[in-house]
Amino acid sequence: MYLQKWIKMKRVLIPVLTLIICITIIWKWTLGFSAFTVFTYTLDKAGTIPRAFPDISMINQNGKTFHLKDKHKFMLANFVYLNCPYVCHKVNNQLEQIYHLIDSSTIPSKLEFLTLSFDLKNDNIQKIKKYRSYFGTDINGWTFALPYKVSNQEFNQYLTRVGIWKYAVPSTGIINHSIYLFLISPENKIIKIFDPARDSNDVIVRQIYSCLQENTI
Amino acid sequence: MLTGKYHIIVLLIVPVLFVLISFPMNDWFSETMPRHQLLQLPAMILLGLITGASFRKLSIRDTFGGIAILIFISTSLIFWMLPHSIDYAVINKPFNRLMHFNMFIAGFLLMPVLRNILFEVKIIFLGMTSAMILAAGITLKSFDILLCSSFTILQQNETGFYLIIAGLAFFAITLFVFFKGITVQKNTTSGSGPKAAS
Repeated sequence: MYLQKWIKMKRVLIPVLTLIICITIIWKWTLGFSAFTVFTYTLDKAGTIPRAFPDISMINQNGKTFHLKDKHKFMLANFVYLNCPYVCHKVNNQLEQIYHLIDSSTIPSKLEFLTLSFDLKNDNIQKIKKYRSYFGTDINGWTFALPYKVSNQEFNQYLTRVGIWKYAVPSTGIINHSIYLFLISPENKIIKIFDPARDSNDVIVRQIYSCLQENTI
Repeated sequence: MLTGKYHIIVLLIVPVLFVLISFPMNDWFSETMPRHQLLQLPAMILLGLITGASFRKLSIRDTFGGIAILIFISTSLIFWMLPHSIDYAVINKPFNRLMHFNMFIAGFLLMPVLRNILFEVKIIFLGMTSAMILAAGITLKSFDILLCSSFTILQQNETGFYLIIAGLAFFAITLFVFFKGITVQKNTTSGSGPKAAS
């Protein structure tokens, strides 16, 4: 009798075990049902916040080299490429609105903006300088930059460490990429990540102020 | 079901088509999202299904084993519909081949299971699959955010639209199987009614 029960139990165990294995595979693949796209997967895989913002040498629109960790200020950073047909400009327009929503006493004394291009092949200092001028002359504290003396491979590794996914579609040459905004503390740590496609300007500004106040206290 | 020379023809044609879709035509299929999701992926399932159907004697009679296989098939479908998996399949060729193989195996196992599985289980499986296709379609159609980095939002929306249609068609098939099954069940006076419907 016990043997019969055990055999019946064993048969039930087959679908149960299959289900457990299948759920585990999906769980692992989506990092605990949280990362369903390559964008969220790359971001989650880079680590939870707060975490250090990886260091890299950069060159700004005026040809001056710098490291973000030497700024010792809050930084709002995003990644673009100038040949982008649509989304990068949309995000930068949103960033411009956010810039003008923030008090002028905060920028650039406590907070600065950084837009970093990742198209090492096509973008150069002249192009980013011209691109910056489209946003007006009153954007003091908003730096447009390029990676400086960094190979493609190193830069790709850097982006992965930041949590940015980028993929150049072979047929069109369009670079599809993550559009996250990273709020970096004066201690060079990523403390907030915004998704401009989902977060409204008001929410982003409110959270930036909240982080600034926490730091003052 | 296929027998004799048809069986041989199927077994000769299917591997050729599999290799053709998986190797020389792979780049063409990977170029746009509708081709990848609506042509390549179902083509592999279909090839598996045809192969499975040609093995007439191959039949999984154990209900629990059948349910386990249906769970595997459902998970395979879910896995390859995730934007993360779609992107990796397009970027990474070995991963793409894994998708082809997995879809072929899923299709191959489907027919021997559905031949003998309980009517209720069959309806649940078909209903869940149509709901899943519909949900994936609605998500892709309604999202204005790029979900797969290998494609465009336009292609994503287009794929979503056709997935909705496919989901509805699958739902219609489910309803047909359901009503056919309960009609047979009503007409059968002996106990094995629902199974006869399958």
